[in-house]
This record gives sequence, structure tokens and C-alpha cells, in this order.
Amino acid sequence: MGCCFSTGSNQDDSKKPLIPDPNLDRKPTNGSDRNADGLSSSRKNDQDLHAAIVQRTALNIIDVSAVISQGLEQHEYMDRARQYSTKVGVLNRTWSQKKPVPLPSLSSQPHQVLAADLVSNADVQQVSKIAAYAYSAISQIKVDAKEELVVQFAIP
Amino acid sequence: MTTALTQGLERIPDQIGYLVISEEGVLASAGELENDEHTAGVIMQMVRTACRFRLHGTAEPPFKRMSVMFEDYVYAVTISGQKVFVVKRQNNQREPVIV
Repeated sequence: MGCCFSTGSNQDDSKKPLIPDPNLDRKPTNGSDRNADGLSSSRKNDQDLHAAIVQRTALNIIDVSAVISQGLEQHEYMDRARQYSTKVGVLNRTWSQKKPVPLPSLSSQPHQVLAADLVSNADVQQVSKIAAYAYSAISQIKVDAKEELVVQFAIP
Repeated sequence: MTTALTQGLERIPDQIGYLVISEEGVLASAGELENDEHTAGVIMQMVRTACRFRLHGTAEPPFKRMSVMFEDYVYAVTISGQKVFVVKRQNNQREPVIV
């Protein structure tokens, strides 16, 4: 049968879908020139991103196992040693420049304190005696070895 | 200001020299301690160490004056208003002679 109001190749026209199916219409390409759905271009972006990450990691990673095989030339070694000691020197200087603990105030009347009676000889002698006892006690600290530190194992 | 500091030190009985020291250096010196930067340095170290002592976890150093005693003389040291005062005094105390 035919159909009314058709003008040409009626079979195709009648069967042609109103909304084109995207899967059917795709041409077999590598997708680099398509930007309609963005799937392939995003895949390329992913690959670029991945490559960038890998490269950055490779730059930052220190492969310890590879160090042994690498040899440093003498001048390179000296250069690095100088570089490191300069760096350490800078750090030492900034660390030692830190403000020390401020002096506490021991008295509001320094002249009075300094003019007061000196420490009596009796006190000095007592302190000297105590210090001597303490020194003697400390010098008598020793290890009391009870047994051998190293022993032989008797293997039958 | 230096005169105010040193006037009191001058009048200390049997003093034979003094130093006034700050964090930056010697502010004033006189007598046997005049220009004695070496002694000033040593005493600064000693007093800084002594200031670290504490009794039973108290907050402040447990002393008002540090005395460095020699046979015939004494260095008496104290700190006030961020300055270290050192006075060298004769040590006239003698052992009582028992006859």
C-alpha cells in the first residue's frame, strides 16, 4: 500500500525517527574532533592530568634504592657540602639570636641589699663542710658488680 | 641616671669597686672593677645560672643577693630593674682568736 501525502522515497521517510539517535549517528573517529558530548576530550584531559601527576611525583620522590648506584663527582660533593654548611650556619645564627630569658628582679632596693652585712665566716664554713660531704658522697657512688656481664653458653 | 645608680654604690661601707651591668653591657664601673669587662661577663653568667634555682617549685629565684667570697674580699651581686649591680667589698671578718 502506499501512503497518502508522501512525495519521494516514502519508505525511508516514514521509518525515519523524529529524534535522531546519537549512538547510531556516530562516525568511527578517535574522538578528538568531537565536542558535542565531551566524553573523549575529557578522557584526554584525564590522561594529561595523570601524566602531570606522575611527573610531579617523580620529581618529588627520592628513590633511596637508586642512591647507591649514583655516584657524586668530587666537585659536586664539595659544592653540596658547602651549601649544607652555609644553610646550617644561617639556622644556627638565627637560633642563637633569640632573646634570652629576661633577668628577674631580686630587689627594689639594690643598694640596701648590697650594703647589708656580709655572710658570716661561720656560715661559709658550714656551707663548705656540707659541700665537702656531698662531694665525698657522690665520689663514692660506684657499680657493685655481682656477676659476670658476659657469659659463655655451654653447648652440650 | 647613671649617677643615681652609682651614688648609692659609692656609699656602701668598705666597697673597693663596683659594676652596673645590663643585657647590653657595662653601664658603669669604678674602683678595682673599673673597665673590668671580664669580671662582668663571668658574674653575669654566674647570676643567670643562680637565677634558675628554685625552691619547692616557687616562681621566683630564692635569693636577694649572691655573694662570691674570697679570702680577703667579696663580690656582692643583686638584680634590680633589669640591671645587675656588683659591689666588691673588703672581707674584714676574721676568725675569733681563741687564746
